[in-house]
Amino acid sequence: MNRFLRLFYVGVFVFLGSFLMFRLIRDGFYPLAVFVGACVVFGTLVFLRKALTPYRWMAVGIALAVLFTIYPIVYTVFLSFTNMSGGHLLTKQQAIQRILEQKYIPEDAITYSWSAYKNPAGEYLLLVFDADGNGFVARPGKALEPKGPLEEPPAELDGYAMIDMVEAVQRIDEIGKIEFGAAPEALTIQSLGEAAVSKPAFAYDEKTDTFSDVVSGTTYRVNRGTYVSDAGEGLSPGFMVNIGLGNYTRFLGNDGYRKPILEIILWNIAFAFFSVLFSFALGLTIAIAFENLPGKRVIRSLLIIPYPIPVLVSIMVWRALLNERMGLVTSGLSSLFGSSPHFFTEVGWTRFAIVLINVYLSYPYFYILSSGALKSIPKELYEAADIDGAGPLVTLRSITLPMLLRILGPLLIASFSFNFNNFTLVWGFNAGLPAMADTIVPMGHSDLLISFIYRLGFNTANAADYGFSAAITVMLFILVSLMVFFQTINTRAMKETA
Amino acid sequence: MTKESKVFGRTIKYLFAAVLVAFAILPFLWVVSTSFNAARSLLGAHMIPKTLTIGNYRDLLSNETLNFTRWMLNSFKVSAISVFFIVTITCITAYALSRFRFKGKKAIMMGIMILNVFPGILAMIAIYTMMQQFGTYIPWIGLNTHGGLICIYVSGAMSINTLMVKAYIDSIAFELDESAIMEGATHWQAFWKIVFPIIRPMVVTIGILAFMSTYGDFIIANLLLKGNDKITVMVGIYQFTQQRFDTNWGIVTAGTVLAAIPVVILFFMTQRHILNGLTSGAVKQ
Repeated sequence: MNRFLRLFYVGVFVFLGSFLMFRLIRDGFYPLAVFVGACVVFGTLVFLRKALTPYRWMAVGIALAVLFTIYPIVYTVFLSFTNMSGGHLLTKQQAIQRILEQKYIPEDAITYSWSAYKNPAGEYLLLVFDADGNGFVARPGKALEPKGPLEEPPAELDGYAMIDMVEAVQRIDEIGKIEFGAAPEALTIQSLGEAAVSKPAFAYDEKTDTFSDVVSGTTYRVNRGTYVSDAGEGLSPGFMVNIGLGNYTRFLGNDGYRKPILEIILWNIAFAFFSVLFSFALGLTIAIAFENLPGKRVIRSLLIIPYPIPVLVSIMVWRALLNERMGLVTSGLSSLFGSSPHFFTEVGWTRFAIVLINVYLSYPYFYILSSGALKSIPKELYEAADIDGAGPLVTLRSITLPMLLRILGPLLIASFSFNFNNFTLVWGFNAGLPAMADTIVPMGHSDLLISFIYRLGFNTANAADYGFSAAITVMLFILVSLMVFFQTINTRAMKETA
Repeated sequence: MTKESKVFGRTIKYLFAAVLVAFAILPFLWVVSTSFNAARSLLGAHMIPKTLTIGNYRDLLSNETLNFTRWMLNSFKVSAISVFFIVTITCITAYALSRFRFKGKKAIMMGIMILNVFPGILAMIAIYTMMQQFGTYIPWIGLNTHGGLICIYVSGAMSINTLMVKAYIDSIAFELDESAIMEGATHWQAFWKIVFPIIRPMVVTIGILAFMSTYGDFIIANLLLKGNDKITVMVGIYQFTQQRFDTNWGIVTAGTVLAAIPVVILFFMTQRHILNGLTSGAVKQ
């Protein structure tokens, strides 16, 4: 590539990257700013230094992975030490900005009556009259233009057409947001009859980091992410601050969280374990049983039908089949036995249904894998076993299974770790329900940790509690990493002994 | 083994097969049959409908508040763009990892392996808030945008696919492209003219699997997309089964069938590719 052209591209890249970084820092998004900065530096170095040519091939991939996979993991840890939640979503810089935007109308303010005008481009202006009947034209961001005394507002003004009362009522929210006139003397409409100059309600003092009420003079000081007056009154919005281990102690130190979470963890492990065990067992059984059966090809293509169907679609279908009142399975069971289990309200049956559906969803995958892996086991092993007089069960136990586990071990681990976080199944089937009784935050008996976190973050009636969810996510990170780590060591050891 | 016991064994196997096949396909036969059933409620529905109708499909597609066609188009758009980027980015990354010698290669391989076993979706809270922040500065990758969703998909698919393609490129004789480079070809030409044609079957497999998984994704799409005109068909199906589960079964099942059909067809058209890819990928490791 032309050298100058490349320098030009790098220049543009650095400019855009720095611009983004500058804005992130200004608004207080420090972790993201660091990651964006790292990507900018990395990109610049790679495209300027010849020795780093191989990295040019990987630059896009690495940048994507860093920003969209690694950053969220790091940011989760960061969030887990903050109080980010419903009332504390913004950074401090953003919150200060929002508080400064809050306005009030001083008692001695001049009030005007107004008529609104709109041009074909959808821009507005106001024609306002003071108490003496003097007219002024007020455009957003420009000083008022005196028009002298006017009898009636004209139907048209500089290419703007007056909007009638009905339309003004309909659009009052939209127009109410606009500031007409230049900054300190800007007008906003207060009601259908009145517009007035409003002033910032709070003044910010950077040195002491306090707000004071312009009218009453009350001082507001920072307290855990909110500006609070001595009387205990807080300014909204709050912002997120570091609260140390607060989120962790909140659930580790509290029986009300610890017990139900322990139940979720146990069910979570059991669910992942039995899902993998049963689907692998079924897939393997099919692979072995039908290996030499005439008509195998037809059976095979029928049996892998669940594989390509989108998982969520299958889950929806099973929900319908098991539906309390009219599902095919439930009504079938009812007519056979007189009653049918409640697959959505009884804990045991819900869990049973979830594992059953998971076996349905995953056995084709293990069937495909097992039959591939079976072919790769050397035939001589079986011949030798046959000569030694080993029966089919012995060969299965001492040749087929160890060889298969050796080949498929990593995939079984991957499947376990996938199922450990199988949000789609649990959420799609019953959203983690039935609900546990008397918990501090809503929890369900069929919840996995990940669906519990999701509900905590996005689906509670009370405010979303991101910091707290992040802390539980971090515990989940550790749990999953430990499990994957030990299982990997285990299969390694198995490989060496096999 | 006597002849009788062999026949007996086979009979057992066929019975077993019959039970399994029923387990595998009955749910879908039932959905398909319900979607063509004129009876609006499940109560009157039988496995074989008394009167066949395509009315459910017509209602589904003409219903403007449902926006079903839009959801399908969204899904196709997001998946197609994601697949394009997944395939291109992983191929060139894998080529570099296979063919270049450079400092930090071990660290990068290690990083990819770790990312591969670590379920990144756990960080959903952070992904959500991060997208919200991105959106304030770069509107097209914020929350409720297809751009943001695609970024997450592509980044999430990187590690496993790069490992697979790299293993495949490693298995191609180095002499092939090395001799081309000796004769003055650039690495780019060696990749594009020599290596890429050889790995094309693998690339097709990866592309199809990536299409199936992005098309079928529910977690991330459900997390990031909110607007009725933005959601993918999986999120749409979930939402409207939540709302009208008991009321209009015909439309619900018709939607389910239509949503599943594209990937099912894709799979059975390319079955051989995918099955080979799955097993060879697994057995090689």
